[in-house]
Parts: sequence; C-alpha cells; structure tokens
Amino acid sequence: MLQLSAAIAGLVTGGAYALMGLSTLLTYRLVAVVNFAQAAVGAFGAFVMVILYEGGLPLVLAIPLGMAVGALLHCGLGAIMVRWFSEAGEGVKAAVTIAIYTGLVVVGLRLFGAQHPHRFPSPFDAAAFTLGGVVITWTTIVTIILAVLFAAAPAVLLRNTRVGLLLRAQAERPTTAELIGVRVPRLSMIVWAIAGAASALAIMIIAPQLASDFGSQAALITPALAAVLIGGFRSFPLTLVGGLALGVLQGLASSIDALKQYRGVLPFVVILVVLVWTRRGDRWDEPS
Amino acid sequence: MKRAFVKIGGVVGAAVITSSLIAGCSTSSDTIKIGAIAGLTGNFITEEVVKTAQRVFDDANEQGGINGKKIEFIVKDDAGDPKRTAQVARELADAKVVAMTASGSFTDCDVNDAYYRQQKISSIMAVGASPKCYQSPNIAPVNVGPFTLITAELMFASETLKNERICNFTVMLPGSEEAVNNALGQWSKITGKQLVVNDTAVQQSGDLTPYLLRAKQERCDAILFNPGEQMVVPFLKAAQTQGMSDVDFLLLAPAYTESVAKAIGDLGLKVYAGSEFEPFTAESDANRPWKDAVTRAKASPTAFSQGGYLAARFMVDVLKTIKGDVTRESVNEALKNMAPISDPMVGTPFVFGQGDRHAPNQASKMVELKDSAWSPIGDFITVPTSS
Repeated sequence: MLQLSAAIAGLVTGGAYALMGLSTLLTYRLVAVVNFAQAAVGAFGAFVMVILYEGGLPLVLAIPLGMAVGALLHCGLGAIMVRWFSEAGEGVKAAVTIAIYTGLVVVGLRLFGAQHPHRFPSPFDAAAFTLGGVVITWTTIVTIILAVLFAAAPAVLLRNTRVGLLLRAQAERPTTAELIGVRVPRLSMIVWAIAGAASALAIMIIAPQLASDFGSQAALITPALAAVLIGGFRSFPLTLVGGLALGVLQGLASSIDALKQYRGVLPFVVILVVLVWTRRGDRWDEPS
Repeated sequence: MKRAFVKIGGVVGAAVITSSLIAGCSTSSDTIKIGAIAGLTGNFITEEVVKTAQRVFDDANEQGGINGKKIEFIVKDDAGDPKRTAQVARELADAKVVAMTASGSFTDCDVNDAYYRQQKISSIMAVGASPKCYQSPNIAPVNVGPFTLITAELMFASETLKNERICNFTVMLPGSEEAVNNALGQWSKITGKQLVVNDTAVQQSGDLTPYLLRAKQERCDAILFNPGEQMVVPFLKAAQTQGMSDVDFLLLAPAYTESVAKAIGDLGLKVYAGSEFEPFTAESDANRPWKDAVTRAKASPTAFSQGGYLAARFMVDVLKTIKGDVTRESVNEALKNMAPISDPMVGTPFVFGQGDRHAPNQASKMVELKDSAWSPIGDFITVPTSS
C-alpha cells in the first residue's frame, strides 16, 4: 500500500519533469539545440517572480513579469546561437548551452542567494482529493493538465499549420529555409522566447515542491532530459509519458528499502538504459 | 633615452615598494596574530561570525590587549571551496598565526585537520559541522554540532514532549554516517528507547512526500529531520498537504533562522528546532553581551555569530593566562591546561584540555515555532557524557 501511495505522490514531480522535458523538446524540435540551460533560464524567471512577489507585487503581475524575464533571457541565448552557431553541429551547440548553464547557476546563486529559502507562492496548494492514502493537491492536477497541453499544442502546431511547416523547415535546414524566403532569425527568436517563458512558468509551478535554491531548480534539466530521451527527442506525447513515469518511479523507489538510496541517480539510469536500447543496433566502429 | 629613464625609475620604484613591504612584514611581529577562515563570498556566507569575533578582539585591544600586545585578527575567505580552504590555512601559517579562532568554514576541519596537527596550530572553531571537527586533538568547536544535537533533540522529544513513536529522517553527508549513527545510538543508550523509523538515506532531489507517507503509515508522533533551510521548507509544506498537524517536527540548528520561520509560520504545524546556544532570538540576560558586540560589529545577529563571539571570548580569556611570550607553543600549552570557562550562553563549560578529541559543548536549548517566529522553550538539555 505504501508503494502505491508513494507512486501516486510521485505524479507531481513527474508532471514537473514532463513540463521541463517538453519545453526542452520544444527548443530542440524548433531550433535544433539540445539546451542544457533550459531549466536554469526557467529558474531565473521564477526567482525574479518570487522576488517581485516578496516585494509586495501581486501574483497576476509578478508571474507575467517572471515569464518575460525567462523569455528575454532565452532570447539572449537564442541570439548567441543564431548569430554565431547557426551552422555549427548539435554537439557544439549543446556544449555552448552547458557553458551557459554553468554560468547561469553561478550568477543565479549569487543574485538570489543559496542560503535562505524564498517563499514561493503556491496558489494551488489546497487539497483536491485523497487517493490511495495520499492527499492530492490542485498543484498536481494543474501541473499534469499543463503538461498535457504542452505536449499536445506543439504537436498539433507542427503538423497542421503553416507556421509549423516553416518552423520545421528552419529547424532541419536553416540555410535552405532562409534561401527560400523564410525569415529564420525572426521566427527562431519567437520560438526561443516562447520556450523561455514556458520553462519559467514550469519552474514557478514546481518550485514549492523541491529544495528551493537556484541550483536545485536548475538541476531539473537532468530528469527533463531523461524524459526527452524516452520520447526519442521527437515525440511530445512520449516525453510526457516519460516524465510522469520517471516521477512515479522515483516515488516508488523511495518506498522500497533496497532502492531508496538510489533515488537520486534514477534519471541517469534511465538515460543510460534508453541510450543502450536505442543504440543496440549500432556497431562500435561504424562511422557515424 | 627618455624611455630608459622611465624603465629605471620603474625598477627602482618597485624595489623600494618591495623592500618596504618586507620591512612592514617583519616589524609587525609585536602583535599576537590569530587566524580565521570563513566564507565571505560564495554560496554560504558566514561573514557575521568573523565580524563579531573581530569586535571581541577589538574590545580586548582597547582594554590594553594581552600583556600590552595587540591582537591582530587575520580573516581569510575560502568561498566554500576546499582548495581555497587548504590554501588560506597555509597562508595563515606562513603569516605566523599563534592559533585559529572563530573559523566559520564548513570545509576547514576536513581539509585542514592534518595540516593543523603538523603545524601544531590549535583552533577554537565557531561553527563545527563535520565529524572531523569533533575528532581532532587540535580543534575544539564552541557549538554543539549536528551530531550531539541529534541526541539532545531526541531526548527532548522522548523526555520533554513524551513522544512515543519517534522517527528519524536524515540526509547523510558523505563521511558522517558513523557520527550520526553514534548520536542515534547514544539516545537509545540514555533513554532505553528505539526509533520507530530510521531512514538515513533521504535524497535531496525530487519530491519529499514519500518519506512523509512512510511516517504517516508508521504513525510517527515525532519526526527528526536534519537538513538546512532549503529542504526544510518543501518538507514541511508537503507535511501540511498530507495533514500531519498533530506530529512534532524536530529540526536541527541550520533550520533555526528567521527566513524559515517566515516561510513555514502559517502552515499550522508543530515545529521545534535546536538552538545549540542560548537562542539568538531570545531577549535574555545571557545574550546581552553578545547582542551588544554583534550590534557594534554591524553584523547580523545569528546563531553563527554567537559562535564567533564565544570562540573569540574564550580565546581572549585563555591568552590572558599566558605568562611570557605568546607563541604557538605557549597557546597550545595554555589551552591544554586551561580551567573550564562557563558562559550563560552555553549549557556546559568550554574547555580545550588534553584529550585527543574535543566536544566541550554537550547541551542545547530548544525553540518552538509560534506566530511565524521562534520562541525559546525550557532550559538547556544536557547530553550525559557516559562514553
């Protein structure tokens, strides 16, 4: 019974992983960058929100402002990518985002302090219902609904609209797209902004559940990337499932004595297993 | 031609500056040099510790110093980085410090214990956090520390609050297993009671709800949770969500801060924390001299600054007993043979002594969360030193 309760409790972190994973996947699918700094950018926006909120600004203003900061920061990162690395390989781009991630964490810890916790508002903290001995809050429900939206909207957008077509074109062949008249830089800036704002919103929702320092929030990128890997860096619905499953798995693991001390490394295990499984057909000395 | 003159002038100028610097160094040996390592930059700032200690030394100097010599307090910043911690200890040793006092670095004991032994430097630490701080012949922290505090808080739960089903959830820092298990065992030895749940593998990442579900299932009426501020807040929020308002939550000293009180004040939970010293939020006579020093030092009045104050005060008292030259040897000798010093801010007297390990502070007070603030309850809980 405890296992079931713990698994259900894991849904909220699972939703958080899914949200973060989906915004990372959005960035990857639309501008072809594996963005390790995605959660750090989101955390930046979320911390700006909490500081404004602690300063007395009402939530309805603080949240959009925080999202705007996330969007702006992500645009800055996007500008670097478009300006200097648009023709670089995925590996190079990912390396650049890792460098930026490290920088953002240092700056974030300095700006927002690692010592004292901030009071993240949790407007959806009221209990919704009890399931299997666990009190489920509205936060869980909102997180999961949002994750489903995050998963469905881009998939529909990419498949069924003209903008989606242009976006796909510019992600896969940026130069060709530009040559046939797609305004690549402008379009990709919009994508960067939206993904940044989305990550900020995601972090704002899940921040009260996790250790509330900047570093812990930025580190959400690891389970997020595990979720994206489950989706094969392609599928939005599978990323959603992957994120939720990872959360449930972690909840479950912390209720089993033999496994609980390995809870923290589960995302890495998942990454490893997925990589080994998807590469099972490859031969080692095959030129890639 | 002109250029050559400039060059020569530069070289001469540099030589003059260098020689005056060297001279400056050699002539300043008429002070008693005392060192400290603290985090002045980085993730965890303990600036108030050394600022308060500086004030205590300044006061001693204004009253004539030690045998007419002034105390020179040299503070080095390690930014919480072990490499820097090692480096600045060597800089302090090269600067010929006679002892370390009021260090507030969390890596100091682990990194520098062996070096202090080798250099025969004694340290009265303000904030000891790792087991090494309590297992060295050269280090004596003035604070209780996170291990003895576990025993004291469990005694508070079982003896004062009369809890029957006490549970422990610990985030284990590398290297502290033995110390934590000893502290838990010590409580069982003193009270003859056992923990209902003892989970020493709590993970820092992810949601903390599963641990609370376990506590709920085992019907724990008291929960000891050891991490600091950043994790305590989501833990207690999750506890509130799961409706655990009839459980006593016991936190360690790192969670006894005003920001935690503000963040969790409105949750309606029963929360207690160990204060190690006379609670810094108490307006008591015991705190008055420290409060005065910390105010004049323009430092923030935290439990850490109490540690800085006490460490510096004890060192001044010990220095005053030294007849003749104050050197590393004479300070070590004085510390070994010192008479215990009592202070109303601590529950047991401070003594360095001869032992090959020092944990002079064996008592803590408790504070209770009331109306988004910490209020002191009861007297010092002293852990009997049976072993």
